[in-house]
Amino acid sequence: MPRADVVVIGAGLAGLSCAAELAERGARVFLAAKGMATTHWTHGGLDVASPAAAPTSRDGIRLLAAMKSHPYRILAADADASVAAHLARMASEGLEHIGSLDAPLTGIPTAIGSLRRAAILPLAQAAALGPWDGEGLLLVGFGRYRDAWAPYAARNLRHAQWPGGPSVVAAVEVDLPGLERLRNIAPHVLARMFQDPAWRTRALSAIADALPAGAWRIGLPAVLGLDAHAEVHADAECTLGHRVFEMASLPPSVPGLRLFEALRRRILASGGRIQVGFDVVEVERSGRRVIAIHTEAASRTLRIGGDAFVLATGGIGGAGIRARHDGTLVERVFGLPVAAPPRDRWFSDDPLRPHPLETAGIEVTDDLASPNLENVRVIGSSLSGMHYLDERCGDGVALASAHRAARSLAGTKAVAA
Amino acid sequence: MNASAEVDVVVIGGGATGAGVLRDLAMRGLRALLVERGDFTSGTSGRYHGLLHSGARYVESDPISARHCIEENAVLRRIAPATIEPTGGYFVATPDDPDDYLERFPAACAEAGIEAEPVPLDDLLRAEPLLNREIRAAYRVPDASLEPWELVDANLASAREHGAEARRYQAVIRFDRSADGAVTAVRVRDERSGDENTIACRAVVSAAGAWAGKVAELAGATLAMSPGKGSMLILNRRMTTAVINRLAPPGDGDILVPVHTVCILGTTDVTVPDPDDAHVTRDEVDALLLEGERLVPGISGARVLRAYAGSRPLYDASDLGGAHADESREISRAHHVIDHGRRDGVGGFWSIVGGKLTTYRLMARDTVDAVAASLDVETPCRTADEPLPSPASGTPYWLGDRLAALEAEGGGNAELICECELVTQRRLDHALDERGDSSLDDLRRTTRLGMGPCQGAFCMPRAAAVLDARRPGAANASLRGFMAERFNGTRSIAWGDQLAELWLTAGIFRGILAVGNLADAPPEASEVQHAAS
Repeated sequence: MPRADVVVIGAGLAGLSCAAELAERGARVFLAAKGMATTHWTHGGLDVASPAAAPTSRDGIRLLAAMKSHPYRILAADADASVAAHLARMASEGLEHIGSLDAPLTGIPTAIGSLRRAAILPLAQAAALGPWDGEGLLLVGFGRYRDAWAPYAARNLRHAQWPGGPSVVAAVEVDLPGLERLRNIAPHVLARMFQDPAWRTRALSAIADALPAGAWRIGLPAVLGLDAHAEVHADAECTLGHRVFEMASLPPSVPGLRLFEALRRRILASGGRIQVGFDVVEVERSGRRVIAIHTEAASRTLRIGGDAFVLATGGIGGAGIRARHDGTLVERVFGLPVAAPPRDRWFSDDPLRPHPLETAGIEVTDDLASPNLENVRVIGSSLSGMHYLDERCGDGVALASAHRAARSLAGTKAVAA
Repeated sequence: MNASAEVDVVVIGGGATGAGVLRDLAMRGLRALLVERGDFTSGTSGRYHGLLHSGARYVESDPISARHCIEENAVLRRIAPATIEPTGGYFVATPDDPDDYLERFPAACAEAGIEAEPVPLDDLLRAEPLLNREIRAAYRVPDASLEPWELVDANLASAREHGAEARRYQAVIRFDRSADGAVTAVRVRDERSGDENTIACRAVVSAAGAWAGKVAELAGATLAMSPGKGSMLILNRRMTTAVINRLAPPGDGDILVPVHTVCILGTTDVTVPDPDDAHVTRDEVDALLLEGERLVPGISGARVLRAYAGSRPLYDASDLGGAHADESREISRAHHVIDHGRRDGVGGFWSIVGGKLTTYRLMARDTVDAVAASLDVETPCRTADEPLPSPASGTPYWLGDRLAALEAEGGGNAELICECELVTQRRLDHALDERGDSSLDDLRRTTRLGMGPCQGAFCMPRAAAVLDARRPGAANASLRGFMAERFNGTRSIAWGDQLAELWLTAGIFRGILAVGNLADAPPEASEVQHAAS
């Protein structure tokens, strides 16, 4: 049966990053997760902290850290190191990024034609960032691909307040070779097709043939390859003769798949172990310490013992926290108490406004320990106190808390390697 | 009488009753025009539990309604088979249900002409294994599942074939009356363009249901409505194959109706001052689940997709001189045709109130009998004889048919805008060919777009793009309205998987797409979404 110094539960950005850092620091790590996580829902950029009033992510962190009970209140000091470590980790796996905590947060176009504030992006999305030097924006959709809405998005962007934006916004729909015969056209299906050099050459030349004259930056659906992504993107810019950026649309997110795979490879290369697909069904304790968890493996339960445990199962969206119909909220692995607003204030009236319930999570001590279980650390969206969508801080909190937990566990007896 | 009338009769209200009245008028040769303030079937008819009543529910409390129901049940099976899934139904007595009610039930059914056949409990539990094992008696009755949107559309289509017209998004704002008080015209406002228009007529029928009191007030008449809000829950699968009713006096959570791939647990009954109050409270949800547990133990652990409420068109019985009661269930559900000429001095104005969706045709017949007589038309009612137009298949809609059609073309998801309900782009395009001014929420009623487990998370932006291609600039307001409508029905049942689904939806709309930042200046006229829907 597996035994580890640290058992990490959850395979989102927080759990994967924490496991990767612990493994890099020489700890024996076991990562268990019940399924793919919210990386697969993301746009692929890094939301460190972009509350409405903040000019940069650093300002955003400062604003959020001043809020009572926001995770950045205890994590702000870890932001620099954790983002730097993450970007280095990504670069070592072939996923280069641009931007920093001090780069200005500027509007970049979304797949539906609104502007989303961003500062740190993978290289393949960098061309979406301003300033625009007089180029136009050309959005490209693919015939029969239902999740790219180039004409609709272009119309919306033409009406957007976009200071310093493109000179003109246009849209074109391109029929890619073979797509007329394909019955299932999902983002990851197209991403795999783009990995094939022969098909890619034909696909890119079909796009090139459809380009109107002019100086453009080109927005393509975020389907430019998986592990060969850097090569596909470089090929696209070379063939099309313009800068090209990817635009994420409905899940599954190909940029998120790349991120997941890069961190998974990193953990395995550093000697960590990963089991994805099985729920934790039992927890063994001794007093206020957790001794082991049991997961529901293929034919029998698997006992995974550890000296320390990291809870990275996410909030309500990631299913780490579940609501019962009577309104009680349950943390699903350890049964830790969940801090949340009273039930009659869970929601705002407008689905596009933040809901108080989004702050639901686990309250922790300053070193992210659970007050109830002394060898359990809580990281990422399991933490209480943030409106991660409106503050756009979920990735930053995930990385900073993962880094803080890994650092503090690496300094304890648990990882005395 | 108004000699220069454009039409003989204006019908107000585009639910089942109004559509039925329009058809009946047209079949008797009267020139008729229907106006509806929102989309057709967007009021109470589109917000009911989907049950074609046998009438057994009312044998004790309301024998007139019971008799009406069983008669119309037979008529609708004959004239509208494509809107009915013949599921059958059971009345079951749980240990909590009163003995005396159970004892009187068979005789009361016989009295009303409803066939209620005792069912051995072994047979019942074999047919419906999820039912409470402690059920102590069961009767089979001719209940069924009825699709309201298709029923209303079929009535409107038939009415059009007979020369009538129906217009949606037309709110009545004023009545013109002659010196003797008779109605001469109805003034309507187009809820989208804001344009106003006067329709000269010889008579007006208000089939506005729970809103009939407000319409009567505009005409200078009084009508004491007592709207009864009924809330329902949609569970994400069929728990039973047949309709299940509690063998007890009508109460909360005593009906479970299988509808397509889901089932509906209903209903509550709360007297509300405002028929537009469609808010489902937490107490109602709790009451429905608590009572639902007595029919299907464990039902409160099932995934609830949505909660919704409709407003029963109940007429305050005290206004008729009957006994007054606070509980709206005690108010008769039998219908009343009210001649406001005789009652309030507003000649040529009738209201049809009360009744059930099951009895809409009878309500229409009784109304049109009165209106036609006043216009010296003696043609008899033929709506029970002539079948309604139906799809070529002549059978009820079944999701499996859509899957089969998709598979016949090779299968795959590329054509699907809405995966839950298998709505293809072609189907949306067709719906927009038929009614080009549709909003996304209107398209939902004709195609079932966004009605599955994800409640629109994936199909809404895709469908918005389809709409944008047809009517540039119209999509954003429509998208926001549709999102608000889907959200309203989800938040009161937001727990378990459906809360996680809501968070996924939020992640898509606010995180990835930043829909809240969408430009707010559509180049063409914005769309008006209905507050109630």
